[in-house]
Amino acid sequence: MQKSSSPVFENRALAAVWDFADERLGLSDMIAFAKKKQVPQHEHSFWYYWGGISLFFFLVQCFTGVLLLVYYRPGVEAYESVRQITYDIEFGWLVRSAHSWSANLMVVAIFVHMFSVFFMKAYRRPREFGWWSGLGLLGLAMVFGFSGYLLPMDELAYFATKVGLEIPMSIPVVGPFLGDLIRGGPDVGENTVQRFFALHVVILPALFVPLLMFHLWLVQRHGNAVPPGEEIKPAERRRSIPFFPNFLAKDLAMWLIALNVLAVLASLYPWELGPQADPLAPAPLGIHPEWYFMSQFQVLKVFGAWFPGIVGEALGILLFTAGGIVWALIPLYDPDSRNGQRARIATWLGFAALVGLIILTAWGYLAL
Amino acid sequence: MNYPVWDVPTIGSGWVIGLIAIFHVMISHFAIGGGLYLPFAEARAIKKGRKDWLEFLPKHAKFFLILTAVYGAVSGVGIWFAIGLAAPEATSTLIHNFVFGWAIEWVFFLIELTTAAVYYYTWNRIPQRLHLKVGWLYAGTSFLTLFIINGILSFMLTPGAAWLAVAGSGEESSRFFQAFFNPTFWPSLFLRTLVCLSLAGVWALVTASRIDGYEKPALKSEVIRFSALWLLPAFFLMPLCFVWYLMMVPESQRVLLQLGISTIGAGTFTQVTRAVLVTVMSSATIVGVVYFIAYRSPRDFRFGYACAILVLALMATASTEQAREMLRKPYVVGEHMYSNAVRKTPVRVGDESIPEVERFDRDGYLTHSIWATDREKQAWAAWDAQRARAAILQAAGDAPVLHPPVTPEILRRGELMFRGQCLACHTTDGYRPMRRYLHGRDRDSIGNLLAMLRASAPDSPYRAYMPPLVGTDREVESLAIWLDALVNGPSETATPQVAAVAAE
Repeated sequence: MQKSSSPVFENRALAAVWDFADERLGLSDMIAFAKKKQVPQHEHSFWYYWGGISLFFFLVQCFTGVLLLVYYRPGVEAYESVRQITYDIEFGWLVRSAHSWSANLMVVAIFVHMFSVFFMKAYRRPREFGWWSGLGLLGLAMVFGFSGYLLPMDELAYFATKVGLEIPMSIPVVGPFLGDLIRGGPDVGENTVQRFFALHVVILPALFVPLLMFHLWLVQRHGNAVPPGEEIKPAERRRSIPFFPNFLAKDLAMWLIALNVLAVLASLYPWELGPQADPLAPAPLGIHPEWYFMSQFQVLKVFGAWFPGIVGEALGILLFTAGGIVWALIPLYDPDSRNGQRARIATWLGFAALVGLIILTAWGYLAL
Repeated sequence: MNYPVWDVPTIGSGWVIGLIAIFHVMISHFAIGGGLYLPFAEARAIKKGRKDWLEFLPKHAKFFLILTAVYGAVSGVGIWFAIGLAAPEATSTLIHNFVFGWAIEWVFFLIELTTAAVYYYTWNRIPQRLHLKVGWLYAGTSFLTLFIINGILSFMLTPGAAWLAVAGSGEESSRFFQAFFNPTFWPSLFLRTLVCLSLAGVWALVTASRIDGYEKPALKSEVIRFSALWLLPAFFLMPLCFVWYLMMVPESQRVLLQLGISTIGAGTFTQVTRAVLVTVMSSATIVGVVYFIAYRSPRDFRFGYACAILVLALMATASTEQAREMLRKPYVVGEHMYSNAVRKTPVRVGDESIPEVERFDRDGYLTHSIWATDREKQAWAAWDAQRARAAILQAAGDAPVLHPPVTPEILRRGELMFRGQCLACHTTDGYRPMRRYLHGRDRDSIGNLLAMLRASAPDSPYRAYMPPLVGTDREVESLAIWLDALVNGPSETATPQVAAVAAE
C-alpha cells in the first residue's frame, strides 16, 4: 500500500481523504509553497497583522450581512424590518450589532493598516499598486459604511445621512447633481434607501471583492515589506518565519482576539435603534456623520465659518481633495529604498496627516 | 446613617474599588500561582540539571518580587481603604465578624512577604535545597492568605443560615467558623486556585518572552511551553467549578443569571449574564491565543504578544469580578445587608428587635442622622405638618389645595436621602446616571417609581437587584422632589398626586 503523503494527518482514514483531495487539488504543493514563503520578523512585525485583521472584519461583514439580508426589507418597510430584526427575531440584535460594530472596527483596522504601511515605507517600489489598491479599498469601505448607516431609517441615520451628504453636495458645479443622484429625489427618503441598499449589497461588493483579490495577490507577489531600519541590516542578522504554519497560526490568534473584541462590544453595547425617522420633525441636537467622516465634516464647517458661502465649502473640498491626492501619490514622491531627504519629508507628512486627522475628528466631536 | 458618604463623581465609589480590585486580583493571584510556579520550576531544573533554567528563574523571581510585593501589597491595602469609605456599614460588619481571621491573614502575609524577599536575594547564595525550602514556604503561606481572604469574600455572598440566625443580635462572632466555611467557600477556593495557576502561566509568559529565541531556542521553547501548560487545569476544571459555585449560590441570586440566559435570544439579558459571557469569551480566547501564538511557535513569542494575552486576562478578570459583585445584588452582605447599607435581618435597638426596613419606614431614615442640623430637622417637621394638612384637604376634595413651597431644606432632605440610599450604586451623571435613567419622567412618574422601589413587592421587576427604598412618606417625597429638580430643574411646589398618595 502506498504511504500517505499527508503532512497533517496520521489517522489512516483522514490521511486517505487528504490523499484524495491532494491528488486532485494539489494541496501539498500549496503547503510547500506556503512553507517556503517567509515573513520578516523584527520589532515592528506587529503591524503586519492589521491587514489580516481588516480582512477578518470584512469576512464578518459578509457573513452577518447575508444574515441581515434574509430579513431586511428596503423601502417603506425599512425601519419596521430593522425593528423586527432587533427586537423580534431571536439573536437578530446580535447579528445586527456584530455587523455594525465590525463595520466600524474594519475601518479602524484599515486606517491602522494604512498608517503602518506608510510609516514602514511599504508603498515604495515595487509595491505602488498595493498602496493604491489599499487606498481604493479604504475609500470603498467608507462608502460601505455611509450607505449602510441609512438603511435602518431611524432618526439618527436619517439626519446623519442628510448631514453627510453635505460633503459631496459642496463640490462646486457637480455637487447638487451628485446630491440628487444619490438621494433619488430632492430629499432623503424611500428612494434613497432603495439606492443605498443597491449600492451597499450589489455595487460596492462587486467593486470591493475584485479589488481585494488584486490587493492580496500583490501582497503574495511582493511579500511583506521591511522597514528601512531593517533593510540596512546585513542579511545574516535579518530574521524571518515561515508563513505556514508559524505566521498563519499567529494570524489566526489575532483573528481570535479580534473576534473577542467584536463579541464583547456587540454583546455589551448592542447597536441601538432610535425612533423612526420623521422628515417633518426638527433635526435632534448634535447630529453628525460617522466618525470616519468627521474630519472632512469639520473642515467644511470651519471653512464655511471663515469664508461664508460657496467659497468656504469649495476651499474645504479643495483642501482635503488636494491632501488625498498628495497622500495617494506618495510612492511617486518617495520611491527609493534609501533614507534620503525625501523619505524624511514623507515621514513628517505622515505624522502631520495622522495628527491632523485625530485633531480634526476630536474637534468635530467637541464642537457638537 | 452614622458614617460619612463618599461621593465620587462620574465613576462612583464602587468603580474606585473595582478599578483597584481588578488590577489587584491580577497581581495577588499571580502572587499565589507564581509562588507555586517558581519552586516547582526550580525543583524541576535542579532534578534535570538545567543550568540555563536556573539562570532564567532568578530573573522571573525578580519580576515576581517587584510586582507582587510592591503593587500587590499596596493595592491590597488600597482595596480595604476604599471599601471602608464606600461601604462603611458592610466593612464594619466584616471587621466585627472576622477580626480574628484578618489577624491570622496578616501573620501569613508577613511570612509571605519575608520569604519572597529571602527567596529572591538568596539565589545562588545558600544551598539549593534550603533555597527550595524557602520557595515552598512562600508557596504555602501565600496560599494560606488566599484561604483566609476567600472565607471573608465568599461570606459576603453567602453568609450561611447559621450566621444569619444570629445576625443583628450582637453575637455574630460566635458563628465565626460557620460564617468562614460558608456555602460558597470551597467552590470559590477551587475557582480562585485555578485562576492563580492560570495567571502564573500568563505572567511567566511575559518574562519568558524576553528570552532571545535565536540565541537560546531550546530554553525559550521549553519555558514558553512549560508556562503555557499552567493554563490547562483551568481550561478543563473551571467550567465544573463554576457550575459547583452556582449550585451553592442562593436561588434568589442564581435567578438573575438564569433570567439573563433564558432571554439572551431577545437581547434582554441581565448585566451579570453579560459579564459572565465576557468571562467565557475572554477565557476561551486566552487559551486559543496561547496555543496558537505561544505553544505552537514558542521561539518567535515576543513581548507584545505576552502583553496582548495580559490584556485578555485583564478583561477576563474584570468581567469575572463584576459578575461576582453583580451576583450579590441587591445585597452587600447576602440576605443580611442591602447594598444601601440597610439591614434586612432584625437588629436589636434597646428592647426592640425589628428589621431596619421597618424601623426606617416607621421612624424615618434621617431622623437620627448626624449629617442633618437641628435647624434642618425643624424645617422638615414644619413642612411635614403643612403637607399633612394639604393632604387632608386634598382627600376631602376641598379645592384649591395650597401645597407648601419646596424649600432648600426639603431639597437638602432629598439630597441626603439620595446620598444615603442611592449613591452606593448610582451617580448623577456618570456611572448608572440618575439624570439619564429618569429622563422623560416628571415628578409624579418619579414618585411612582420610588413607591414601587419602596414597596419592593415580590413581583416587582426591580426586586431582584434593587434594595427596598426606606423612609417615611415625606422623606420619599423629598427624594422625588430632589430627583425631579435634578432631572427637570427646580419646581416650586409639591405635587397633588404625591399628596393624594400620602393621604391614603
